[in-house]
Amino acid sequence: MIEVKNLVKRYGNYLAVDHLSFKVEKGQILGFLGPNGAGKSTTMNMITGYISATEGDIVINGYNMYEEPEKAKKCIGYLPELPPVYPDMTVLEYLHFAAQLKQVPKEKQKHMIDEIMEKTKVTDVSKRLIKQLSKGYKQRVGLAQALVGNPEVVILDEPTVGLDPMQIIEIRDLMKELAKDHTVIISSHILSEINAVCDTVLIINKGKIVLSDSTERLSEHFKGKNDLTLEVKATEQQLKAALDPISEISKLQIEEGEEKGLIRVLVQAAGECDLRERIFFTLAQAKCPIYTMNIKKMSLEDIFLEMTKEEPEKQIKRGLKRSILPRNQKKEEAGNVSDL
Amino acid sequence: MLAIYKKEMRSYFTSIIGYLFLAFFLALLGLYHYLQNMYGGYANFGYALYGMRMFFILLVPMVTMRLMAEEKRQRTDQMLFTSPVSISGVVFAKYLAVLSMFAIVMIISCIYPLIMTKYGQVNLKQAYMEILIFFLLGAAYMAIGLFISALTESQAFAAVITFVVVLVTSISSGIGGIIPSDSKTGWLFFALLFLIFCLITYLIMNQATISFMIGILGEIMLVALYFIKPGIFEGAVQNFFDCFYILGRFDNIVYGILDVSDLIYYISISGLFVFLTIQGVKKRRWS
Repeated sequence: MIEVKNLVKRYGNYLAVDHLSFKVEKGQILGFLGPNGAGKSTTMNMITGYISATEGDIVINGYNMYEEPEKAKKCIGYLPELPPVYPDMTVLEYLHFAAQLKQVPKEKQKHMIDEIMEKTKVTDVSKRLIKQLSKGYKQRVGLAQALVGNPEVVILDEPTVGLDPMQIIEIRDLMKELAKDHTVIISSHILSEINAVCDTVLIINKGKIVLSDSTERLSEHFKGKNDLTLEVKATEQQLKAALDPISEISKLQIEEGEEKGLIRVLVQAAGECDLRERIFFTLAQAKCPIYTMNIKKMSLEDIFLEMTKEEPEKQIKRGLKRSILPRNQKKEEAGNVSDL
Repeated sequence: MLAIYKKEMRSYFTSIIGYLFLAFFLALLGLYHYLQNMYGGYANFGYALYGMRMFFILLVPMVTMRLMAEEKRQRTDQMLFTSPVSISGVVFAKYLAVLSMFAIVMIISCIYPLIMTKYGQVNLKQAYMEILIFFLLGAAYMAIGLFISALTESQAFAAVITFVVVLVTSISSGIGGIIPSDSKTGWLFFALLFLIFCLITYLIMNQATISFMIGILGEIMLVALYFIKPGIFEGAVQNFFDCFYILGRFDNIVYGILDVSDLIYYISISGLFVFLTIQGVKKRRWS
């Protein structure tokens, strides 16, 4: 459906997009994720044919963007970062203009526009000038414009910016509905959004693909299956003594808990084994009640932060203990002193 | 393409610009027609147009400044250039729209010679030829305005630059007249002009050696030419400035001379600048 091969964009000496290649199949929602300046918008602008690539090929629905631009562009509906609306037109005039521009047959225009306005919920402002609309409405009008002509591919650059939470949910549902018979590419820096909507995620940083996988597999992949965090009512010594018999524990980090008398423990196990039950019974026997026990699951956010940092290899480890490390280090030092 | 044309036409008439242009143009034309033809008693409608032609300085930027610049500023160009319309289609549609605005005025002006026939002998052939060439002159200026509008994001900037360019092309013959026409001044003028040209190539290409070499070579050739055949520089400055005297070509027909080269000159300028606009937009996609 969409095939991007070796896409490169250079601005002078600055490499904005660096040999990007990916494929999106029909009915998929692809999430484009990356920090500011990663090349998300540049890539989207290239896919839609707004700017040219320095190198590489883009094939939309079998049409090459550089050989048959008009046919390729006909398959795309695009909502850029800023909605491309004319402030001096009414919403209805604007959508009629979009329909004419996209060569929608005259007899179909009215019906199509009504339907799209209903979908994007702009019917009640259809007679108003766009310059009088709020940012959220402008965004929705921009989205409506992208849907005019019923293009097979819909590309949305940060579609939920400026919308209120209620509208965000509506737009998400709309995107899911679109995915039934469209191919959708969304860029966003709101990770929960990508998580909620997309099938596949593409994380890019400095113009390169850092990671590309389905959303489910991604978190599966990064899930620290064997990492547990516990809150236990015990002293450090008690706990260490109690857990000592379990040989699978490769690492134990202890710090002060939030409530008085509780300690927070991070347990890392070697291998793939699930230690939850054993820990539960062991600590129960040692009369150290467990208040909470959680499997540490990495969210997309953690993955994103890791992958987009300078050195991904090093960052993975640090990312895992990011939240506990500083306090823990102090504890370790303190522990050493007491041991001596 | 038709959609963009319609949109442009509508935007002229939903803002004040379109009405202002028409009103201003027709009022001035009416005034000149009255002064030259009615009050002055000349049977040549060209005299009215002759008076009008200086007002292109104001009228052209008025209608062309918005064309490309505003799309860029509002980011609506993203919608146009990602739609299934080619870049040349977008530029042509816009140029046609601005030409249509001008055509409205010119069609109305076609009535004046007919009114004049009521009062005496009027050479209608000449009158309508004058109107046609005046239209082509305007079309050439509007192509230049379109091009300048495509270079910038700011309407005001586009308007000022268009104003200056139209002004220079209206008085360039006069500027040429000020500069002495002897061969030494001519040679100095071209030597200086060439240096400026080299500086511009350096600023664009950012390659000092190439610009320097071109500069040295060119200057040596100019010096050699000056010693071998100094006569070549005599009056050359005036000729140089006359090349840019776009406005002046209109005068021939007012004096009753129909020179086909004038027609071709204006059409070429329009074509060239529409082409440059398309190339300019395309170039922006690459950099």
